Amino acid sequence: MTQRAAPIFILITLLSVSLFGQTDPGVRGGGAAAGGPLSSVAANIPVTILDFFNDGQDRFQEVDSVAGTLAGEEGVGLGPRFNSRSCASCHAQPAVGGSAPAVNPQIGDGAADGARNTVPSFITRNGPVREARFPFFFDNNGNPDTNNPNGGVEDLFTIVGRSDSPSGCTASILPQPSFSQAQATGNIIFRMPTPLFGAGLIENIDDATLQTNARANDNNRLGVSGHFNHNGNDGTISRFGWKAQNKSLEIFAGEAYNVEQGVSNELFTQERPLPGEDGTTGLPAACRPNPTPEDHTNFNTTATGTLSDTVGFAMFMRLLAPPTPSTTTPGGSSSINNGRSLFAAVGCSQCHTPSLTTSASSFTSSLSNATANLYSDLLVHHMGNGLADNVSQGGAGGDEFRSSPLWGLGQRIFFLHDGRTTNLLTAISQHASSGSEANAVISNFNTLSSSQKQDVLNFLRSL
Amino acid sequence: MRAFLLVLLTAASPLFAQGDFAPSAPQNDPNQVKTLKPVPANTILLPGALPKSSDTKTAVPEEGNVHKNVYENRYFGIEYAFPDAFVKQFDGPPPSETGKYVLAELELKDRGSILITAQDELFALTPGDAKYAREHLPSFYKLEDVPPELKAGERTFVRYDYTSPVAGLHWSVLSTEVRCHEVQFVFTSRDTGLLEQLRGGLTQIKFAETDAPRCVPNYARAENLIYKVDPVLTDTKYNPIPVRVIIGKNGKVEHVHVISAFRSQAGIVIDALLQWRFKPYLVNGEPVEIETGVLFGSEKSRKREPGAQSIATD
Repeated sequence: MTQRAAPIFILITLLSVSLFGQTDPGVRGGGAAAGGPLSSVAANIPVTILDFFNDGQDRFQEVDSVAGTLAGEEGVGLGPRFNSRSCASCHAQPAVGGSAPAVNPQIGDGAADGARNTVPSFITRNGPVREARFPFFFDNNGNPDTNNPNGGVEDLFTIVGRSDSPSGCTASILPQPSFSQAQATGNIIFRMPTPLFGAGLIENIDDATLQTNARANDNNRLGVSGHFNHNGNDGTISRFGWKAQNKSLEIFAGEAYNVEQGVSNELFTQERPLPGEDGTTGLPAACRPNPTPEDHTNFNTTATGTLSDTVGFAMFMRLLAPPTPSTTTPGGSSSINNGRSLFAAVGCSQCHTPSLTTSASSFTSSLSNATANLYSDLLVHHMGNGLADNVSQGGAGGDEFRSSPLWGLGQRIFFLHDGRTTNLLTAISQHASSGSEANAVISNFNTLSSSQKQDVLNFLRSL
Repeated sequence: MRAFLLVLLTAASPLFAQGDFAPSAPQNDPNQVKTLKPVPANTILLPGALPKSSDTKTAVPEEGNVHKNVYENRYFGIEYAFPDAFVKQFDGPPPSETGKYVLAELELKDRGSILITAQDELFALTPGDAKYAREHLPSFYKLEDVPPELKAGERTFVRYDYTSPVAGLHWSVLSTEVRCHEVQFVFTSRDTGLLEQLRGGLTQIKFAETDAPRCVPNYARAENLIYKVDPVLTDTKYNPIPVRVIIGKNGKVEHVHVISAFRSQAGIVIDALLQWRFKPYLVNGEPVEIETGVLFGSEKSRKREPGAQSIATD
């Protein structure tokens, strides 16, 4: 840009903001600011830990098939029902371990290797990766029965027609769910993949730290409260997933492997039918060719080879470094710093706590007594009828969601639990609706000037 | 040839409708449903913990309402008129497991807001007084030098103001105690003149004379109980269950207000508490009706700051 053009450019930019308001700068460019290992892992401290990270990453990228006999699809155990064939295909943006990519791989998953699936209309090429749930079971008339909650994942696809699927596994015995009916009756909600960067840091924050933070924040003048979700077995604080319903990365990995790819494993040892399916027809034996669990500890092999995939996934996620924020992009450092201050001033940091400290780690030093700049208190909060999905998980009700960690937000494409928007301003405004704890904060945000709001957006996109 | 292609394309078009590929698996036809009864949109049908009372005639904090430009709350005896330009856009969330209520949120679009909250002091995690709040104000706010009180008729509101220099926002916080609740009005704006106007309007607030029971914190201790039945909770969600009870002059529990509990828990707690018998609370030797609090469920899930009210637990 020439010397003469620069002031004109700045003037035009300023005028644009004041005339047309603030705008979401969009996905931050440059290389992926995430996807690598924690620094102590990269330094291989303790020795061989980097092997476990790399091995876990390889497994995370592995494509699953029914029998593991197809070239390039060595993973065993896909289906009978599934949403995707690989962890990394959905957790991909901006790098392996992230969130939904720009091009939805589920379009190809449904037809891969001869599979004869109808791709539901809510799965589009440039839309977010999604899993679907029916909040309520259907009654005998085909209408949602609001006295009969469901909320479980309804896998999009089946293995019917795949070249590695048993010939007896047909659509007549293993049909896809009735997505059209669910859509016609408003009885469907969506979830998209949560990003996994920094997950090990989240896992290693002690319950007492979380309680102390929650107690301090309870004294606020914003109407914000929130509460923890708890593991049903031992009562400790759970923290992973859109509703903080999962306790640990291993549980998270095992459940996802079973639910999303249909791979039974040592944590979830049986093949998973659709909600309610096991009470009627059950998963047909003709569609379950593999012994269970399909993923398991391996014997008589190398150190990293001994792990099951589930443990490997957990190790990969645990050792993933958090995203690296930008100090200058977008908008420049002044705007970003100002936006950070405004983010706190209007009250966003009440739920999106900027940082928490982990406890001592037995894994590696980068996880030990470390600062996690996650921008989340890990509580679930009422988010109102605008965001409610009517799915209860543990102690989290149908309108409650975990404060989504905002680290890495700058390079995400889709926002909110169902990926309903790519626009950050829309995502912010959706925090306000009847029943939401965020209404006062959004009201504060709305009183900011356009340039101040732009600073907040620039700050968020710098994360 | 063109006609043939046209017929072919027409025949093939359903294959590409709405992004669907050729259907190859049976699906229920929505047309076969006798009458479609969709789930209502934007409706919370499966809430988490909610309040519940043993009767509908006794006033409870969350039952306030906004009508035109007046906020009324029978439990607190409040009648508060606010400027016409402010509107209630949204309802607030349910009461929290720490006894926090969002009573009303009123907005003057993009210019300011009025937030009315109540904190049940019997269940707060931190001391509810303004001194504590001022001392624990985040460092990015700046306290302003203002008179510490505001008189509204017979009542005194404790006041403190703070500002965010970076945002240019000002807050004026005014609170008063009613029935062991800190009722708080938070006025927010960039316009200090508007805040002045709102404070002036607050001086006209009316508090009705009510026959509300006397609030006695921590009365549900063993030495005051003649008879109790423990609620047997069948659904463990590790949540605290804060409860207010009104105890009659004869020591019987007359009203139970579960502030926050899951559906599977609330009824059990109410049924149990309605059987409790207390020693009558005496004032100058005469029994009086009182209200107090009891905490069930998982107290261990929420610690309290020193200075916060102690509370009898089950």
